[in-house]
Amino acid sequence: MNKKRVIIGAVIIAVIAGIAASASLSSPETVNLDMERNHGTISTALGSPILGDPEAPITIVEFGDYQCHFCEKWFHETKPLIEKDYIDTGKANLIFVDMAFLGRDSPKAAQASYCAEDQGMYWEYHDMLYNSQEPTIDGGWASNERLKAFAFALGLDMGLFDSCLDSGKYSKRVQYNVQQARENGINSTPGFFVVGSDTQQLIRGAQPYSTFQKVIDSMI
Amino acid sequence: MASTIRLVFSNPKYAYLSVAIFVPMLAGLLLLSEYVFLEPYVVSHLPKGTELGFVLIVVLSALSALVIPMNVFRIVALKSSRQKMGGGVFGSVIGAAAGACSCGPVGFAAISTFGSVGATATAFLTNYEIPIRVAAIAVLVITYFTTARSLRTECKF
Repeated sequence: MNKKRVIIGAVIIAVIAGIAASASLSSPETVNLDMERNHGTISTALGSPILGDPEAPITIVEFGDYQCHFCEKWFHETKPLIEKDYIDTGKANLIFVDMAFLGRDSPKAAQASYCAEDQGMYWEYHDMLYNSQEPTIDGGWASNERLKAFAFALGLDMGLFDSCLDSGKYSKRVQYNVQQARENGINSTPGFFVVGSDTQQLIRGAQPYSTFQKVIDSMI
Repeated sequence: MASTIRLVFSNPKYAYLSVAIFVPMLAGLLLLSEYVFLEPYVVSHLPKGTELGFVLIVVLSALSALVIPMNVFRIVALKSSRQKMGGGVFGSVIGAAAGACSCGPVGFAAISTFGSVGATATAFLTNYEIPIRVAAIAVLVITYFTTARSLRTECKF
């Protein structure tokens, strides 16, 4: 009888330990595996992880290209204010969906961001790309070597990252996101949809914070 | 120089033509270059680091509005050849094309239509936006002086 209890106890402890171990290995970000994830008319299933509270009443869907200068301007001038006032306060969250069309390095940079997501570092890598953007499209700043150097600088496992990037693992994912952009009438970058519970507003271009403020406040 | 400008623009037709070139060109370039937005609210925005691009757009539009009517005057009023008109139109078109491509709908349309050739062309126009606009302004300035000299000679003042 005691032997049986010991075995059952050992099995329970092993199961609990297994669950704890898998939980500790999973990403601290909201890793996107929900193929049914939609925001308004947009399928964000293969977009970025959600930045901010997934339950926030407003979702900002950004369509962007890592080589787009206006996206970089928006990243530095408007996004920090939105993060401070709306994302950090739980009023809104943000999803980045790739519209990688500007040059041959654009799709590869987008794929690299998802290779970083595999290691729980999507947003860190995303930020690294916009902070490292140079003025020349396809000028080499987002070449394969540089994309790997960014991953190295973030301390990612380079074996995993390299095999992910070199294999083109997320090529289809990026293509799907570009298709989503086209289907939703996005014809320039950056493009945004501010999605509320029953309405969505398109904002074309790197518009100033005041525009986002007005649109979001009108939906809350 | 001022006398040739007075001569051309004393005729209201050419003054109207100048306004008809300047206003749509400036508005179009400001919209395409994302300095002005019409939706969801009308708003203007000058991000840091884009001041030079803005100034070049204003100069380009002003020079186009000056040079093209002067050339039209020379052709219509003085029955001169159309050859020198080319400089003004060429400078305006090249200057307008530069930068209007970048991340905007023009670039998107070019890439969607022409594939990798369109992508290469838009990347070139974007990468060299400022030098191309400066070159276009130089073409317009040269065209202005050539036209003004031609008008002075042909009108004998």
